[in-house]
Amino acid sequence: MNDQIRKVGLALLVCFVALFAQLNWLQLFGADRLEANPNNTRAIIRDFGRDRGIIATADGVIVARSVEVEDNELGRERQYPEGDLYAHITGAQTFNFGATGVEAVYNDLLAGQTDQQKYGDLGALLGGQDPTGNLQLTVRDDVQRVAREALGDRNGSVVVLDPRDGSMIAMWSFPSYDPNLVSTIDLDAATEAWDELRAQDPTAPDLPKAYRQTFPPGSTFKVVTGSAGLASGVATPTDPVFAASSGYTPPLTTSTIANFGGSTCGGDLAQALRVSCNTAFAELGAEYLGPELMIGQAQAFGFDEPPPIDLPVPVASHFPTDFGAVLSPSTENPDVSIVENTPGLAQASIGQNDVTSTPLQMALVAAAVANGGVIMKPHVMDEIRNRDGELVDEYEPTVWKVALRRGDADTMQRLMIDVATSGTATGLQIPGFTVGGKTGTAQTFADTDDTHAWIIGFAGPPGEPATVAVAVIVEAEPGQGQITGGTVAAPIAQQVLAAALQPLEGVSAIEGEGEEQGG
Amino acid sequence: MTNSLRNTELSLLILVSVVIAGAYALASLATDAELPPNLVPFLGVIFGLLMLAHVALRRLAPLAEPLLLPLAGLLNGLGYVFIARLDRDLAGLQAVWTMVGIGAFVTTLLVVRSARVLERYRYTFMVIGIGLLVLPLAPGLGETINGARIWVSLGPMNFQPGEFAKVALAIFFAGYLIDKRELLAMSTRRLGPLHFPEPQHLGPVLVAWSASVLVMVAEKDLGSSLLFFALFVSMLWIATERASYLLVSVVLFFGGATLAWTQFTHVQERVDTWLDPWADPTDTGYQVIQASFSLANGGLTGTGPGLGRPDVIPLAETDFIFAAIGEELGLFGSTAILMTFLLMIGAGLRIALRADQPFEKLLAAGITTLLGVQAFIIVAGVIRVLPLTGVTLPFVSYGGSSLVANYILLALLLRVSHDSTARQLENHRAGAPRRGRATAGAVS
Repeated sequence: MNDQIRKVGLALLVCFVALFAQLNWLQLFGADRLEANPNNTRAIIRDFGRDRGIIATADGVIVARSVEVEDNELGRERQYPEGDLYAHITGAQTFNFGATGVEAVYNDLLAGQTDQQKYGDLGALLGGQDPTGNLQLTVRDDVQRVAREALGDRNGSVVVLDPRDGSMIAMWSFPSYDPNLVSTIDLDAATEAWDELRAQDPTAPDLPKAYRQTFPPGSTFKVVTGSAGLASGVATPTDPVFAASSGYTPPLTTSTIANFGGSTCGGDLAQALRVSCNTAFAELGAEYLGPELMIGQAQAFGFDEPPPIDLPVPVASHFPTDFGAVLSPSTENPDVSIVENTPGLAQASIGQNDVTSTPLQMALVAAAVANGGVIMKPHVMDEIRNRDGELVDEYEPTVWKVALRRGDADTMQRLMIDVATSGTATGLQIPGFTVGGKTGTAQTFADTDDTHAWIIGFAGPPGEPATVAVAVIVEAEPGQGQITGGTVAAPIAQQVLAAALQPLEGVSAIEGEGEEQGG
Repeated sequence: MTNSLRNTELSLLILVSVVIAGAYALASLATDAELPPNLVPFLGVIFGLLMLAHVALRRLAPLAEPLLLPLAGLLNGLGYVFIARLDRDLAGLQAVWTMVGIGAFVTTLLVVRSARVLERYRYTFMVIGIGLLVLPLAPGLGETINGARIWVSLGPMNFQPGEFAKVALAIFFAGYLIDKRELLAMSTRRLGPLHFPEPQHLGPVLVAWSASVLVMVAEKDLGSSLLFFALFVSMLWIATERASYLLVSVVLFFGGATLAWTQFTHVQERVDTWLDPWADPTDTGYQVIQASFSLANGGLTGTGPGLGRPDVIPLAETDFIFAAIGEELGLFGSTAILMTFLLMIGAGLRIALRADQPFEKLLAAGITTLLGVQAFIIVAGVIRVLPLTGVTLPFVSYGGSSLVANYILLALLLRVSHDSTARQLENHRAGAPRRGRATAGAVS
């Protein structure tokens, strides 16, 4: 019998060794694969179940919060009290579809999962509380509301930022959506809402068009072309003087670029910008500046590169980088070459052809002009504090691009102030402030008369650097015909500029009570 | 010698109490952010219960093996910590069941003053065992919970008679097989190198086996079915020393398994889920996949008690408690649980090897096999080494019947241990010229 008993022992030992081997696979060698499995919602449940910091505007309005839910394995639900107003900024934290917006970019900080928060906060560590981070946006609720109100139910975007440090003051696109529908812990309802959104792709309302969709910028791009002229020394506000014309035919083609409404215009750079003269800017770009200077200036403003905003997957705006082989020197400027696609360059110089831009990028063009040529990194996060109000992280203003020398930027600023004073952008005027702008009426790619209405601009106290820059697009609607920046987009931009120029009211929602804050 | 055995046990019990109280404090810190207010009373109760069992052993079986009680206490205590961490209400009940279990342990030692007595009542135990097995099938008494009809409700009480049937059947098998082993081992037929017994001697064996398996299939309790079969086969083999029984049993097992697989959808489902849980990760495969995620989440060192999310796994406090422990204590913790069971198996089989009475030897081997196989079956099911069959992890899982039955088994094992050691000591003192083993003849 003893022999058999020993063998039973041996058999059991073998069985347990098999268990041990499998455990090593599950817990050690194969663990990474299991953790990465798409069915593994532990990390999501972890962040759902755990407390998560609030997201609040600069003026103290809570736009995202975690609410405890009774009798649910998820424990907490993420709610967005302002509905669609901040959907494109906060994004949504969903159970089945990941997170978007600020919720995605600052997930670890909101959930308190950074090493700094986990191990640096001794109080939380010993107190057992989750060291969550409360996030304050640079966005102002008052301005954001004005943007939504002013745009109304027209498809379009409004982007407002502080050119001095890149803080986003408002960012609104219509249509938007209610993130609560996809963040709900009623997972069936969330899935249904999500499927409904995806059925509307690629124009689903959860697309943050302000930084994810590009449009032909039209005449607002003349600011870039004009800047190229000033920066290269090829043009000054008063020289060259373009002959008055109703149509410009670039070299190598017979098709003519006309002015808006078939009008006749010309004159120097200041005059051409003031009335948004297509023939003058097309000629300036094609024959005075040429591909190299135009590409260089567009890229100096940030084209062909996604802007480094702290939101997920911003798209790059586009300026063509190849206009074909060199053919001959230009008759207007011997340093400049006529190339195979000079006709395309002529159109690109007035923001048509293959030029496309996000509303954010055009706002950055205005910001560059307003800020002495320097583009600051755009950002929506202002600062993150722990539940006691102690600072965890804050945004350090950082230079993204130097688009222009200060002198050239100031010159362009003057020209744009002219446009708002006596040109196409007079609708921007705000009593008591200095305002500059540039309108745009962009043909869509479709073969219709429908146009996008654009405006970019900036404003500030007289004699001081501008404190606000703006870009507004009201998208073309099929069959609506031409809508111009000056009549449709300017009033919207004027309202948000005026709102943003008002001093910030309200108090921070994330600074703790009873904690000493150095101011 | 008496003192040294029990003193070893006592110091191990103190160590176990401290380990359990530490784990309890950690889990409480993690979930409630404070030391449990009842930490000192908790430590007191644990230590008190273990001391009660310890003192009972000092009085009633002073020569018993000193490792088994601390090991069982460790499993019971760790299990309690995790049950408390998963479900406070169940923890209160489990505490009561632990007291009842220790009470049953002491009572068993008190009532069964000599293991040999049990051999006399083997047929009584057979009737009790089979009666308990079929009890859940009785109309009005039985209840189906989680798909298995293995529960009996008596008034407010629910219990699983199958757990107690284990005890009765282990005793019956030991008595019956020792009684009949010479007949069963007699080989009149040969098939190749193997000797086969007369069919009529195999008859009762087949009847007992198929009855037990049929009942289990009717109750849809695959785990217990496998457990009883493994228990019976290993005891039969140990008793008869005939490998031919193993062969027949393996054939029977695969025949029965194939039949069950073709005939019963719930068996097919279990096997399909085992082979490919990813085919339906949100329904049939959900539980075992969540257990895998849980263990992966734990990694080498675990999330720490109270810091994982084992509550995502259905039945985490009973069948899947091993995954909960693996997540929060890591590979270190899950391996420690396996090692604890291996140490118990080792200690139990050593008792069997040293026992001088065939009945006691077989009983000890049977009880140990029962514990070892049951732990293996459920852990293997949780970590996908075998198809999942719902049984409890002995001493660890939540469950009153299981805990009480396992403490009774433990008491029987320690009773055998004491008896055989005592006899050997007596013979040694008597200075009898006979070798210790020869005493076997003097008894029956």
